[in-house]
Amino acid sequence: MTAGTRTLQPADGEGLDVDRVVAALGRRFTVESGSRRAVRRTHVDTFDRRLLAAGLALEHDVTARQEALVLTRADGPGASATATGLRWPAFPDALPEGVLRQTVAAPAGIRALTALGQEKRRLQLLELRNADDKVVVRVELDEPDEGAPARPPTVTVRELRGYADEAARAVKALVATGLRPAPDQVAVDDDQGRTPVADRRQPAHVLLAAALGGFATAMDDNLPGLLDDVDTEFLHDFRVAVRRTRATLKIGRPALPHPMRSEWEPAFKWLGDLTTPVRDLDVYELELPTMGGWLVAADEADLAAFATHLRRRRTAVRRALVRGLRSQRYRRLRADWDLALDRLGDEARDSGLTAGELADQAIRRAARRVVRGGRSVTADSPATDLHDLRKRCKELRYALEVFAPVVDTTMRKKVVGDLKDLQDVLGRFQDTEVQRRALRSFAEEMMADGTPAEAVLAMGELIGHLDSEQDRARAEFDTAFGTFARPAGVQRLLHLGGHR
Amino acid sequence: MRVIASYNIKGGVGKTTTAVNLAYLAAREGSRTLLWDLDPQAAATFLFRVRPRVKGGSRGLVTRRRPVEDAVKATDFDNLDLLPADFSYRNMDLDLDDTKRRTRRLSQLLKELAPDYDTVFLDCPPSVSLVSENVLWASDTLLVPLIPATLSLRTYDQLTRFVADAEGNRPDVVAFFSMADRRKRLHRDVIEAIPRDRGRVANTVVPSLSLIEQMAERRAPVPAFAPTSRAARCYEQLWAEVRER
Ligand SMILES: Nc1ncnc2c1ncn2[C@@H]1O[C@H](COP(=O)(O)OP(=O)(O)OP(=O)(O)O)[C@@H](O)[C@H]1O
Ligand SMILES: [Mg+2]
Repeated sequence: MTAGTRTLQPADGEGLDVDRVVAALGRRFTVESGSRRAVRRTHVDTFDRRLLAAGLALEHDVTARQEALVLTRADGPGASATATGLRWPAFPDALPEGVLRQTVAAPAGIRALTALGQEKRRLQLLELRNADDKVVVRVELDEPDEGAPARPPTVTVRELRGYADEAARAVKALVATGLRPAPDQVAVDDDQGRTPVADRRQPAHVLLAAALGGFATAMDDNLPGLLDDVDTEFLHDFRVAVRRTRATLKIGRPALPHPMRSEWEPAFKWLGDLTTPVRDLDVYELELPTMGGWLVAADEADLAAFATHLRRRRTAVRRALVRGLRSQRYRRLRADWDLALDRLGDEARDSGLTAGELADQAIRRAARRVVRGGRSVTADSPATDLHDLRKRCKELRYALEVFAPVVDTTMRKKVVGDLKDLQDVLGRFQDTEVQRRALRSFAEEMMADGTPAEAVLAMGELIGHLDSEQDRARAEFDTAFGTFARPAGVQRLLHLGGHR
Repeated sequence: MRVIASYNIKGGVGKTTTAVNLAYLAAREGSRTLLWDLDPQAAATFLFRVRPRVKGGSRGLVTRRRPVEDAVKATDFDNLDLLPADFSYRNMDLDLDDTKRRTRRLSQLLKELAPDYDTVFLDCPPSVSLVSENVLWASDTLLVPLIPATLSLRTYDQLTRFVADAEGNRPDVVAFFSMADRRKRLHRDVIEAIPRDRGRVANTVVPSLSLIEQMAERRAPVPAFAPTSRAARCYEQLWAEVRER
């Protein structure tokens, strides 16, 4: 099976010299070239680029003999599937069942997938064999043919399980011919819409103002859909923008004027709290089908009472949310915030901190807090310690996002990758904890309402499942933290900014 | 994850040939497949052109000092990976004997691979040993190639008794005739004499074919180098029967 891939491309604007590639590989391996194939490639995403935002790229390749979907992801192994007769637009459930569909369906949600561009390309597969005539590496050449190319020619090295050294040697040989690692073909969500490089010497508050302005726009974009209850995703995205705003205010304290802390931090806390109850219920409603799958003894139908209960609660709390967002208070908050950001942007007086200095300071501080927090976790630490560590991880993650324009991109991505794994474990641990408690209180409310016993028993089963999920997450913690806190990883974190 | 062991107490009956061909067919259908070559002679490993070498050897795996997944090698075929043999497997019995739950260790090791694979084939050495006890414990199906001769039926009886007496897990036993030669009277008689009613013996009979012998030169599964041959069809038929159990 394939273990991982590395994609290379010629230096800017140059074509691919296939003979040279084959010759270079031929010095180390026996190269067997497959025949060339023409492919019609369609780039597929939702109209609002949800896959891109989730770090995914979906391509639909049609050749004379077959049709395939290829999913690449910025942060890990992709997936592929054979397809027949797919037409765009199509909903995610039209994709062939499997990992690919699951990965696409999560961010796409209820939105249709549409064709965003098409081109013709030429593909060729090379098999590299060792002295035993065993295939040890596969290399795929992919060149533009007709139409506006979405990417330059690429050479993808596919590592086979157990043959990592051979793949590394192939990459070296290719780099020696002048090929270079391709920049990630898919942007990571938090880089979207931002220039990857900004001047580290610019005043810190200028960088912060730009970031905060972006989050304010995101709130506005999602507000109408949220008020009309078009889709739960609008509320979710609105909340993300609020959370990022709050985190940026906190990280930016050393460089921001005082009212940002005394007035605006509490204002956005109010806004965040206002949106929480509906989102919490949305999460259960979205999870309901999954939860049904956990049941062994009880029947999925026994969850019907729970679904009704959730819907009733949601109607009530949504009313409060809509009232809050239509209120005078919110309108004033939003208008005043624009003014405050304008003022911040052209503030003559500043803290004297540059963006680069603030970035280094904030990232280091947050990183040290994560490392210290994680090291103090032992086998008997209470759940609250892990919860606290999760918050520290989030702070670090936000710092890495806000300062993305002024730190080294490659190193940052590596750091974010490690951090994500740790956050994932902590997230699962904490979410199961919260859900377990919530389910218990839902069950109590339902009992008080006179709900039949089967329905309450089914809830008990869900709670049991969450218990074991939590144990599992706890067991994975040591490894995840160990990987994050390994010396090389920590060094990288502490010197992220040092390159520019 | 389904575990299928190609096993017989007797040597040279076609265990390796069967494991290699069926593993290839399972993978070709899209099942994520692993073949573990448990025989220190490394015949299956050789057929896939992989070097018979596992870092840390049998002891490293059995003591779990070396994660099994680190030893896995991709074969030249999609969806098909190999856990190679190593010469140290000749001591696997002793290594297993030193562990707690000595008959269940293999099964534990395989559980670690469960997220990665749908089907696992075990190519077993010909013997009755602690390794074979572990194989029994770990397997859902024992696939038993039989050469249609009186003696081989006796070993088959021994084998069913071995399974019946085993403690713990009792895999489903599926025997089939391998290397059958219709020109030999004895072969015909034995094949006809065996009752198929209780479903213990598969309907598919794999004849003795020179193309199957060629696997050693081609170093590939039969359906990979001769996809439309009679030999390939036989293994497809056999796989269809085994898969449905
Ligand atoms: N159906 C067949 N027709 C012709 N030759 C066969 C057939 N099946 C197996 N053989 C050959 O018989 C020999 C023994 O087969 P194989 O190695 O599969 O048996 P085995 O049971 O694994 O042996 P061992 O006990 O040594 O591991 C090999 O040379 C193989 O090519
Ligand atoms: Mg053998």
